[in-house]
Amino acid sequence: MLGLDQFIAELNKSISMFLPETALVIAFLVALLLDLMFKKSKNLTGYTALIGFLVTGYFLFKQMNMQSTAFSNMFVIDQFGIFMKWVILLSSIGVVLISFFTNELYEKAKGVGEYFTLIIGMAFGMFLLVGSSNLIIIYLAIETMSLSSYVLAGYTKEVKRASEASLKYVIFGAVSSGIMIYGISILFGLTGSLNLFEINRFLAANPVNNFALFLSVIMILSGFGYKISAVPFHFWTPDVYEGAPVPITAYLSVASKAAGFAILLRFFKVTFLDSVPGNDSVWTLLGSIDWHFVIAILAVLSMTLGNLVALWQTNVKRILAYSSIAHAGYMLMAVSTMDDAGVASVLIYFFMYMVMNLGAFYVVALIANNIGSEEIDDYNGLGYRAPILGICMTLFLISLTGLPPTAGFIGKLYVFSAVVKAGYIWLAVVGVINSVISLFYYVKIFRNMYLNDVDSNKSKLTYSPASIVLLFVFAIPTLYLGIFFNDIVKWASYSANIFMGK
Amino acid sequence: MDLVGLAFYFLAALIVISAAIVVFSKNIMYSAFSLMFTFFGVAGLYVLLNADFLAVTQIMVYIGGILVLIIFGVMLTTRITGVDVKSNSLGKIQVGIAGLLSTIIAISLIVVFSSTKWFLSEPKVSGDSTKLIGNELLTNYLLAFEAASVLLLIAIIGAAFIARRK
Amino acid sequence: MQESVPLNYYLILSAIFFVMGAVGVLTRRNAIIIFMSIEMMLNAVNLTFVSFSSYNSDPAGQMFVFFVMAVAAAEAAIGLAIVLALYRNQQTVYVDKVNLMKW
Repeated sequence: MLGLDQFIAELNKSISMFLPETALVIAFLVALLLDLMFKKSKNLTGYTALIGFLVTGYFLFKQMNMQSTAFSNMFVIDQFGIFMKWVILLSSIGVVLISFFTNELYEKAKGVGEYFTLIIGMAFGMFLLVGSSNLIIIYLAIETMSLSSYVLAGYTKEVKRASEASLKYVIFGAVSSGIMIYGISILFGLTGSLNLFEINRFLAANPVNNFALFLSVIMILSGFGYKISAVPFHFWTPDVYEGAPVPITAYLSVASKAAGFAILLRFFKVTFLDSVPGNDSVWTLLGSIDWHFVIAILAVLSMTLGNLVALWQTNVKRILAYSSIAHAGYMLMAVSTMDDAGVASVLIYFFMYMVMNLGAFYVVALIANNIGSEEIDDYNGLGYRAPILGICMTLFLISLTGLPPTAGFIGKLYVFSAVVKAGYIWLAVVGVINSVISLFYYVKIFRNMYLNDVDSNKSKLTYSPASIVLLFVFAIPTLYLGIFFNDIVKWASYSANIFMGK
Repeated sequence: MDLVGLAFYFLAALIVISAAIVVFSKNIMYSAFSLMFTFFGVAGLYVLLNADFLAVTQIMVYIGGILVLIIFGVMLTTRITGVDVKSNSLGKIQVGIAGLLSTIIAISLIVVFSSTKWFLSEPKVSGDSTKLIGNELLTNYLLAFEAASVLLLIAIIGAAFIARRK
Repeated sequence: MQESVPLNYYLILSAIFFVMGAVGVLTRRNAIIIFMSIEMMLNAVNLTFVSFSSYNSDPAGQMFVFFVMAVAAAEAAIGLAIVLALYRNQQTVYVDKVNLMKW
């Protein structure tokens, strides 16, 4: 145990590195108190959340070049974490703004005070997960994210779909985290420590029973796989995405997945990389289990199942749910290469995925505001009843398929090139085939909007000018980043270096 | 066989039999009460393993908190005065598949556990378990402690919101 | 005190306990019994941690159990609140009767 003075000095240093998360906690508490004091004001907690996120962004910006551990090696700050935290923060701001324009929340729920408070809480959990380096913090952060998302998914209590979705989510999430901590306990028994850096040092020096190690990591992967909706841990995704309110579905599909991928990458690199100095760009794995192959199998299953099942769905939110399972598959392909180019391509893909997925869900929300439905047959003729929405939705669909000149194409380009460079040509071929399959169901939405019901005389949709401004906030980067993508690529390559401890 | 071994076998039998009743009984109230015996059995094992603070915490949190909450849930959602305290299981095929899968998993886990060489070191610290846990909570595990408090606050807000009647 | 019962016995007991909890989750249809089985699974994990911790005299395992208990309580609270909300909505707690969303 440290001496008291030394301990206090280290604590001060740790707190100064924890400022963004502290800002989130303070915003959470302020939002809670304001909601209790001023019950009349409708969106007060929403504005508090926005201010809190902006302050967090300021602290995050000041951390841009740090790289160290904090809180007795439980928390780690490095460029990789900061990139992911920016993705999570930007998507949190986006989701709060989308929620302001979603009528479903204001009509069917009993007030939105707790809603924005819980979004801040979920953001805190995600920030904690991205920076964690100890298995206890990983577990606590995953549970913080999960608990707040169980409540947020069932927020519109009176809608039957929402409470059913929430129940399935709770059961599945609790079982997955139970399996995950069983795996953690076996890993603890094998290596004697809960800290990722110490586990690495132990595995590098001593041989362990390979079957036990394999079993424990598979069980831990079930917890991470549930967060990123990889097959075969994806069963909750379609029902929860369909039943939850649209902004929450958007949040789960982008930010929650980002945090899950961040911890997946960090866990694999820090635990299993052989820390040979000077050889950082290619990871040599400890133990004799071929993790490349295991993750590649997960990637193929996710891509294929996501794309094939989406073909016969009729609810637009469910189509987007299965498409997000497929996108997780593409990103898992890049993770399976397990080198720095792969990590950089995952970061690039996430940034592009954020703008296009949030935009697509925002259009679904605006359409549901007007016609009250999310079924694909009710989208007939929408291209003519709401021209701006139709054009933007087409742009997002082109980007999700991965065609140039949109952001989605850049993301897929870098992922495929990282996979090919690592030598897994068969995996890239499977990815390309799956992208072609995905074209079919994205085109179905486009076809219903523009080529069905052309001459109907139904009324035009109404939407406020402010909501269209927000729509352009998502649509313009989707196009812009498809053409001027160099800055993001440079930032991602710089951030691909995951901190390995001293 | 000495007293500790005897206590272990008794508590192990208590846990396994109560767990079987929880999972296979058709009456919810029987399941809830045998869950209580399961928790007591685990608390007894903690005492055998030198974790006295955790044993008492187990009784207070699990039995005094979670089990009471579960019984509240049972009472609020079942028509006690009617017939429906019973609950059914799935059809025979699904039970069969689940049983087969779990037997395979159980056997593989048991094989792993019997043959692995676990990490064993000299005792790091010795002493009173409560004092040790308290010290660790506020020095090395400070971040986890604070994060857990935020988590509990989120749970309170969420549960209060969802369970509210109107 | 630990020499008379080998570590493996505790681990095998917790494995059996975990699998019985998993069987409960897979085969029962009443949501509250599913929650009880989940609590059993978490208890099995706690037992594993405490056994490792006591055979090494390393407090890290006991710390993890402390946090798992806190999280389990929070999860039980939210889970049962959601079951209650579902019961008010649809008058049933059987997970196969709530199936508005198909494949």
